[in-house]
This record gives sequence, structure tokens and C-alpha cells, in this order.
Amino acid sequence: MSKYFPTQEIGSLKKPSWLLNVVKNPDVSKKDKVKARNEAALLNIKTLEDIGLDIVYDGEVRRVEMYEEPVRYVKGFEFAGRVRSWDNKYYNKARVTGQIGYKENFHEEEFEFIKENAKRDIKVPVTGAYTLADWSYNEYYKSKGDLVMALAKKVVRPLVQDLVKQGAKIIQIDEPAATTHPSEMEIFRESINESVKGVNSKIVVHACFSGNDYEALAPQMPEIRAQQYTLEFANRDTWNLGVNEKERKGYHVLKLFKEYGFKGEIGIGVTDVHVDKIETPQLIRDRIIYSAKALGDPSKIYVNPDCGLRTRTRSVAFEKLKAMVEGAKMARVAIST
Amino acid sequence: MISSYAVGIYPRSEELIEATRKIAKNLPSLYLKEKKEYIAIQKKAKLGYVCDPLLDWDDMFRPFSKLKSVNLEALNRIYETNTFYRRLSFDGPLNDVGNIIKSNLVVSLLPKNRAVCVPDPYTFADVHFSRKYKKNEFPKAIAKMLRKEINNLVRSGFQLIQLVAPSIAYNPKVDFGLLHEALNIITRGLKAKTILHLYFGDVSDKIESLLELPVSGLGFDTTSTSISSIKKHSFAGKLLAVGLINSYNTKLEDKEESISKLNSVISTTKPDETFVTTNFDLQYLPKDFAVRKILRLGAIARGVKSE
Repeated sequence: MSKYFPTQEIGSLKKPSWLLNVVKNPDVSKKDKVKARNEAALLNIKTLEDIGLDIVYDGEVRRVEMYEEPVRYVKGFEFAGRVRSWDNKYYNKARVTGQIGYKENFHEEEFEFIKENAKRDIKVPVTGAYTLADWSYNEYYKSKGDLVMALAKKVVRPLVQDLVKQGAKIIQIDEPAATTHPSEMEIFRESINESVKGVNSKIVVHACFSGNDYEALAPQMPEIRAQQYTLEFANRDTWNLGVNEKERKGYHVLKLFKEYGFKGEIGIGVTDVHVDKIETPQLIRDRIIYSAKALGDPSKIYVNPDCGLRTRTRSVAFEKLKAMVEGAKMARVAIST
Repeated sequence: MISSYAVGIYPRSEELIEATRKIAKNLPSLYLKEKKEYIAIQKKAKLGYVCDPLLDWDDMFRPFSKLKSVNLEALNRIYETNTFYRRLSFDGPLNDVGNIIKSNLVVSLLPKNRAVCVPDPYTFADVHFSRKYKKNEFPKAIAKMLRKEINNLVRSGFQLIQLVAPSIAYNPKVDFGLLHEALNIITRGLKAKTILHLYFGDVSDKIESLLELPVSGLGFDTTSTSISSIKKHSFAGKLLAVGLINSYNTKLEDKEESISKLNSVISTTKPDETFVTTNFDLQYLPKDFAVRKILRLGAIARGVKSE
């Protein structure tokens, strides 16, 4: 990117209720469902572009959910049933009952549509091997490590290769489970490296925050073949303005990344996806300026929400993104003066 | 034959899941219907102790959010799982306690041989926080609260209390002095079996210290603490609960292999009484698989020849 602090989304947005009404209605024809999905994708792409994001996608509007969607198209999985995430929220969890295998590029239609309709750069989110394994019941492979590597080599790598052949320039490997087991970070590292072996595109890794403040991730970062990490920071930060250590406590770990020798880009989460309160552009500006100083190179900073915004209403999500774009503009001005 | 139990939160059926998502009008009756089913399954499996499946509990701590001085806070991950709980903030005196757990159980449906799980005070204080109590006072304040709860449960006929203690297993460093004090508040003079159940971490290096704690016995998740580690210790004078049934994998345990493991661990450790159980809550499985695991648990317990 030629400018400082390019802005991007992480992936998911809440689906419009009209779309859910159409796709869940058994009386609606397949053709009309396809049409509705296309309209929703177009709406998201255009909205994100109008807000001013530099890198866009379609809000993952065609995907059921980041785990269930890929599992539907991979050999070796059988859905076991729903288990609880929290309270009355559930996800459909699958068993691995046979050898893992890739069937087809299950994001082909989605990416083709976005390619045709987006005017900005596109980043394709792909669920990572480690998370797919961590969120499944392994009944077939001897160890979790074996399952992770099978998924990396036989599913994620061919999928990423197919997307690159199709024209993808930026791939984001989504790994929300990455840091949930600090003792397994070497498996995670190898899974990313195997997933992107021989792939000629920019690789971004998205890892949610868990437990030990990315301290387990930091030593692995220089050894992982990724050019950028998009990470959560805002939900541990204060809401006070300022660029000092006290106000920006959520971003201290950036210094650790530098200490471990990571020289790539960081997509800093400046927007808390767990609350409706909208960050002010001034707060986002300060988070960006602090991060640029902490990492020591403003050209390495990208700006994004902490995670996908699907847990927020669409209006809240879009207001947060508008504030984020405005805050990035203010940070560019501040850093140039 | 040895005794068995499977306490904790059980998974909801697809019908109940849909009802909870819509907050259906018949939700209370569906909860009751399914609780009865699960109790019947435990009886069919001939488990030594039967429990309420806690289908209407959002997490192991949520009933305590009803206390006047307790506030609900943000969602937090349950250790390294993909399941979350809400943190609680204890911001005032804990006066209105004693009937929180019991009032959230269907005691009248349970047979006499009833068991219940209660978070251990150390874990409870570790995963929540207080604006009133200092850090080293908080576990003891929680213990005093839990003692009132447990007294009421024991008066209601609960014979076995499993104290769920993932923080003791998960955290590399444990203040055993503080833990001892807190557990003592709970168990001193209590007329029920108390088993401190350790999961979500390997406690191989902590077993000696754990055996000194004032509880009737210890329980282990054998997917994180190996049987061979347990076998290195004498459980004479103690109860031993072996968490052989894996609630984190759909794969069904082999009956004969499990019986063999139990016979081996019993003959080596010589506990006063042995139980076979799940490694932790069955809620991590879909219902069909949980039911199969309960039935297999009973079959394994019945297959162990002697103690």
C-alpha cells in the first residue's frame, strides 16, 4: 500500500434479516436464493467501499459460519451435532472419521463474484487448519498434530492455491483457536507454513486473543511464513485518549513482537467487536499512533477491527467502521506533521 | 463392580436447543422433560450416583449472578476450550446465600443416591473477581459462601459433592496453603463425600500436595493426567475418581480396555473406594454421544471385578 495505515475488515458481518428470511424459506427457489445472496454480497461490498475501507470482502455473507462452511466441503468429516459456545449460542461440531481430503474450491463462486464487483483490493478469509482441527472431534488421526498437518497439506494449501490461481492477491488465514493452547504453538506454526508452502500471494494470519496476551505467539511470528497478522487489541485497551503507555495498555505487546524480531506488518484491532459503544475517531487515531511508535515503522501498520463484526448489528458495525476510517485519516495527518 | 457418576452440565437435545434459541413458551416444560430423560438414562446405566443434568444452567457459575452483590461481567473463554462463561464480580457482602444451587436443581426427581458438582473455591475465585475482597481473602469468602450452599445440599440428601477444580490443574503455580484453608472451610465436619476433581491440566507433579488436602478424595481427567502418574501414589485412606470417559471426544471408550486400566490403577493405588466418571462436563458433546458415553460409563463400572 502506498499510504500509511490502510484500513480493512476482518471478515464477517451480521447477515441482513431479509437475506435469512429468503434462504431459510423452503418455498423460495434455488435461483432466487442465489440472487438474494448476490444482492447481499453486493450490498456489503459497496457499503464497505463507500465507508472508505482500502481492502474489502463481502462480509462472508454466503458462508454459514467460519467452521461449518469449510467442513461441509472436506472429505473425512461428519457432523456430530450442535454444542454450546455460550448461553444459547451453539455451533455445529464435526467428527473426523476418515482420511481428510480436498474436494473443490468451495470459495470459488464467492470470490469470483467479489472480484467482478469490488473496486478496492480484496482479502479472502480462509479458515485455518489448526482451528478446524481444534474445533473438531478427532476419531481418526493418531494425534491432533497429525490431523492439523493433514488439514494444512490436503485442504488449506490446495484451497489457497486454487484461490491464487483464480486471482487472489491477499489471503487471510483465520485462526481464532491459534493461541488457545499455548503449548501447541509449534504445531500452529508448522500448520501455517505447510498451508502456504509454494503459494505466491500475500499471507495474512488472523488470530484472536486468548489468555496470555499473544506472548505464546510472539516467539513464533518470525518463523511463520506470513507477511501480516491481524490481531485483537482494542478490547483490552482503555477508552481514554492519549498515546502513552497508561492509556494504550492494550497495545503493549507490539513491543514484544519487535523484540522477538518480527519484521512484518500488523493489522491492529482498533475496534472492540464485543460492545456496541462506538469508538471515536480520535481514540482510533491515538491507538494507531501509539502502535506505529511501538512497532517503530508506520508503514507496517494496517488498521482493522479486532475481529469479525458479525456479533454486532449492521448499523453498529458500519458506524464502527466509519469511525475507524476517519481515525486512520486523522492518524495519517498527525504522523505527517 | 465399582461406583460411578457423571456430574456437571449435560448437552441439550436439538429440540431443546431450538427452544432456547427462540426462548419458546414451553421452555420450562422442555427442560423438565429432558431432565427426567437424563435422570432415567443415568438410572438405566446403573450409575452409583445420579445427578441433575443442569440443562438450564448457562454455565457452572451463573446461578450465583442472582445474588444481590454479584454483577455479570464479560464473556471469558473456559480455559482452552471453545466454550465461554460470564465472569462475575463480587462487589458486596454475601448474605443472601445458602439456597442458590439447590433452588436450581430438580431435587425431587433424584433418587436417594444423589451427587452434585460445585466449583471449588480456589477455581471460583480464580475465574471471577471481587471489588470488595482482597485477592487472598476472596477464595475464603467464596468458600464460606459455598459451605452454606453445600450444607443445604447435604441436608437435602446429596451424598457426594464433586468439587470441580480446573484452575488447580491448569495453573502451573497453586497456593496450596490458601487452597487448604479454603477447602477446610468447606469440608470440616461435613457429612458427605467430597471429591476434588482436577481437569484441563496435567497434575502429575501436584498429586503429593493434593493428597494432603482436606477432601475425601481426588478425581482425575485421564486425558491430561496419565493413569501411570496416578499409579505412582498410594490412595490409602482416600477416595479415587478416575475420569476415564472423555467428554471432549465423540469416540466411545473401549469397555475392556477401560476395565483393565481401572483394575490396574485400583490394585496399585489401593484407595478406600474407587469411582469411574467422566473427565469433565458432558456438555462438550452432542446429546446422542453423551447418552452413549453415560451408558458405557455404567457398563465399565459394572465390569470392574473387585477392589
